[in-house]
Amino acid sequence: MRKSLAGTRVREARRKSGMTQKALAEAASISASYLNLIEHNRRAVAGKVLLGIARALSVPVTALTDGAESALLGDLHEAAAHRSDANIETESVDELISRYPGWAGLLAGLYRQSKDQETAIAALSDRLTHDPFLAESLHSMLSNITAIRSTSNILKNIDDIEPEQQSRFHNIIHEESRRLSDAAQALVTYFNHASDQSGGSATPEEELDRFLRQHEYIFPELDNGEADISDILTQESMLNNTESRELAKGFLILYAKDAAQMPLAAFAKTAKECAFNPDILAQQFDADLASIFRRLSGLKRPDIDAPEMGLIVVNAAGRAVLRRPLRNFALPRHGNACPRWPLFQAFTQPDRPITALLDLPGGQQFICLAVAGDIRGKGFGTLPEYQASMLFIASEVLPVVKSWLPATGTAQKIGISCRICPRANCPVRAEPQILASVSEIL
Amino acid sequence: MSKCVLIVEDEPNIVESLSFLLGREGLEVHAENDGAAAMEQIETIKPDLVILDAMLPNRSGFDILRDIQASQTAMPMVLMLTAKGQPRDRQMAEEIGVDLFMTKPFSNSEIITEIRRLLGI
Repeated sequence: MRKSLAGTRVREARRKSGMTQKALAEAASISASYLNLIEHNRRAVAGKVLLGIARALSVPVTALTDGAESALLGDLHEAAAHRSDANIETESVDELISRYPGWAGLLAGLYRQSKDQETAIAALSDRLTHDPFLAESLHSMLSNITAIRSTSNILKNIDDIEPEQQSRFHNIIHEESRRLSDAAQALVTYFNHASDQSGGSATPEEELDRFLRQHEYIFPELDNGEADISDILTQESMLNNTESRELAKGFLILYAKDAAQMPLAAFAKTAKECAFNPDILAQQFDADLASIFRRLSGLKRPDIDAPEMGLIVVNAAGRAVLRRPLRNFALPRHGNACPRWPLFQAFTQPDRPITALLDLPGGQQFICLAVAGDIRGKGFGTLPEYQASMLFIASEVLPVVKSWLPATGTAQKIGISCRICPRANCPVRAEPQILASVSEIL
Repeated sequence: MSKCVLIVEDEPNIVESLSFLLGREGLEVHAENDGAAAMEQIETIKPDLVILDAMLPNRSGFDILRDIQASQTAMPMVLMLTAKGQPRDRQMAEEIGVDLFMTKPFSNSEIITEIRRLLGI
């Protein structure tokens, strides 16, 4: 079994706060000996006891729970699985994260960087194979070389060539050499341009992710109308290529549209009054649920009291077009998400919202709202373009939303991505699991 | 009676050097740079060998090869030239019935040796 290290986190947090075990135990209304067992991971800690400890330490509960570093955990497991020949002690990964968070973060960061570079290389390889300009250029150059080689060989090895023919062969070499030179120059220009465009090893999606994380997915200047999209993009130095700038522009256009349709102050007020009920918000602001999800996921701010909500939007091919992970609910950076996410079920019944309670492998639970819809205008001759959006909220928020939340039934067991999912006998597994000792985790 | 070769190639300078070389071998040489015209020539002159570029404007060498097979004309020997050496191109050419597949750039001695072999001269 995977060992819970919530106790280790309690101990670290207590030490940071400067409290003694005795003082914390008193403040949390438990005995010092019980706290000692908790801190040494000999007793599970949850519920009221955990809440009491968190309050006494003035830290959020999530800072002490096992899912606190789930994204980091997922990355490290995946990194270890990539080097399965290296006998990495995957059973100690929790301990690594708890005791050496800096090193763990560095390792995961290096792994992510390596994956990003692999993705970029794959994209470049694909481009080299299928780029019509390159194919045409190379074909043309090989034809030039063939003509030059053949003609020069004739001139060198055959003596009895008529002067007129000899002159034509000289012209051929001259002409083909010039064409070869032009083609080579065009290729150099093309690659220089491509290099300028790519700007680095990150894919456009990775650059967009970084850009959004840097801004915490919030653009107050668009909320209060103090800046327009081009101002933001002009000042932005993190977006190094045209594609990532286009992606960022797409995000900001939607953000500005949402901000105009759902002004922040009014939206926050209404949201709080209706307990963040998306249906009521959709009616009040005459907006579709996907827009409401976007606005809700960006609602929590220093001056706005709202639950933290994550969001993922995918297209019909399953590719994430927007990712806003939560600390306890990592979204896969590479490859596909768990097929059990209600997000994908939503595609089977467009415009019909789905509610579910989700149970992640680490035991964390989330309330999930998902809906799919055609993002293009509906009209004759218009091909539909479906996207599905999934909003997810930590289950601790359940009391806040239970007044309107339909019955979710039993929590559905899901994963993050098949590659790192420990649910050994999952019937919908799409890819082999790459974790070692997965059967021991559950 | 000399053997007849049709060169179907849109690069005039390659046509010129190949024609010169094949002429010195005592072969009757014709050339076309377009697929449709090449089919007419094949039906008219009934060449013993067609040297066919895989990448031609409008119709590829593979298309022309299929046309030859579908026509009532006796199938000539076919030497396909390509600048793309991918195995799938070679496989496709062999499946359609190409006698020889050569990638550019080739040497004069190499192509002349192969043509002599194909024509049995």
